[in-house]
Amino acid sequence: MNRRTFLATGLVTGAALALLPGIALAHGPSRQKITVTAEVAADPAEVWAAIGDFQDLTWHPAVVSQTGAGGNDIDATRVLHLSEAGADGPVIAEVLYKYDADKMTYSYRITDVAVEVLPVTNYSSHLTVKPREGGGSLVEWRGAFYRGYPNNDPPEDLNDEAAIAAVTAVYEAGLDALVERFGAPGS
Amino acid sequence: MRWSSGSVPPARDALRLAGGLAAALALTAGVPAAADLAFVTCQNGDALSVVDTAARAEIARWDVPGKPAGVAAGPGAVYTVSPDDKTVRRWSLSGALGAARALDGGPIGIALDAGRGRVFVSDWYNARAWVLDADTLALTGELTTRAAPSGLALSADGAWLAIAERDADRVSLFDAQTLARVHAVAVGSRPFGLGFAPDGRLFVGNVGSNDVTVIDPASGEVIATVPVQDHPYGVAFAAGRAFVTNQYAGTLSVISLDDLSAVATLPAGEYPEGIAATSDGQIAVANWFDNTLHLIDAASLQTVAQIDTADGPRAFGAFVLDTGR
Repeated sequence: MNRRTFLATGLVTGAALALLPGIALAHGPSRQKITVTAEVAADPAEVWAAIGDFQDLTWHPAVVSQTGAGGNDIDATRVLHLSEAGADGPVIAEVLYKYDADKMTYSYRITDVAVEVLPVTNYSSHLTVKPREGGGSLVEWRGAFYRGYPNNDPPEDLNDEAAIAAVTAVYEAGLDALVERFGAPGS
Repeated sequence: MRWSSGSVPPARDALRLAGGLAAALALTAGVPAAADLAFVTCQNGDALSVVDTAARAEIARWDVPGKPAGVAAGPGAVYTVSPDDKTVRRWSLSGALGAARALDGGPIGIALDAGRGRVFVSDWYNARAWVLDADTLALTGELTTRAAPSGLALSADGAWLAIAERDADRVSLFDAQTLARVHAVAVGSRPFGLGFAPDGRLFVGNVGSNDVTVIDPASGEVIATVPVQDHPYGVAFAAGRAFVTNQYAGTLSVISLDDLSAVATLPAGEYPEGIAATSDGQIAVANWFDNTLHLIDAASLQTVAQIDTADGPRAFGAFVLDTGR
């Protein structure tokens, strides 16, 4: 259900918002945060090898393809294509602002997304792989963001709850795919 | 009455309080104990964590509805601003609610003029600041600003009220007595938090251009623009230094007040935001993502304590008070 939000397009409103200068800079009053974690059986090095490249988020089931520049250097960019239409369909543009292979973590921000694709603004995120006590890995995905509607009294589909639900669904879908791929610990 | 909350058993608060007092008493041997309290608004948790910065312990946690962000602590009173229920509240230092006032708009930042009995609250959505009676919170006036007013500060001598007008890349300086705008100063990109140094200069964090504008309030002139790191959010002063929280970088920039040179860059928690100095030379930093308040020795630049708070500490404003206990 929330996955649909991630994949949906909304060109009409998206275009209208694009006409308002500076709209991406505005935001609501309360920043939201979520942390979603998953445990997998593979060791951290193996998991990091699969997900630690900023230029490849196609391990996430919602990401069909992507383009990018700058590798894993600070300020590297990527554009996630969320449909077979590639750059012509729903996309999310992101920039890397922290990368630490030794600590198996990277941090990035969304630079451009239509609120119909993901109902958030001022979004930043961290993806981290840690060793799990007893073997395997703990994968942690954290996000900080404001709701999609920057002004007072948001409509239901662009309020704080909608933003939290949408980002949670994105993280869960990605982490579920990792559990499927690497197995749950002890199983 | 509000010394406990749903998420913290009262017994734990009582223990914390006892432990905090014991630690505070232990410090009194030979030197006067500092008596500062940090009133940390915790937006996501609908709470306010009270931290004894000398004992380095959370001693109380109040329920504060409406996602509180803005805060101002003054003699005998703490003011909070909750943007979700659009309400300003005045509390006693022990957490008794004294007054509440709903404001039609987007209240966010707050500054207290204790001497004149006024509080100022920025209206994020309507390009203005409200003037309220500090006791009753009755609306007594309005100041017109440009777009997205956010941080406010009163100078230590009570002469100036500064308001960051974020989306206008401007700071306005008002005569705090007459409330007339005296200067409108162009600063960096998207000024948000600001504060007056002990020498009277105004420091403004520009989240968009990653620098701090230093202003002489008397002349309205920009003295300097000092580079810091990603998303400077708040500024505080101690030991002849300015300390700036860099929200996205997760660091503190330390700047010498002598020559505005860079002294150091310190690690902070994740999303460091509200920052204030204690009377005993510590810098208190609220780390929004980590749910911690860090205490840093302003002279040695060592982090001396990491104290758990309620969820989402923002502490946007002058949140530390020397209670003189």
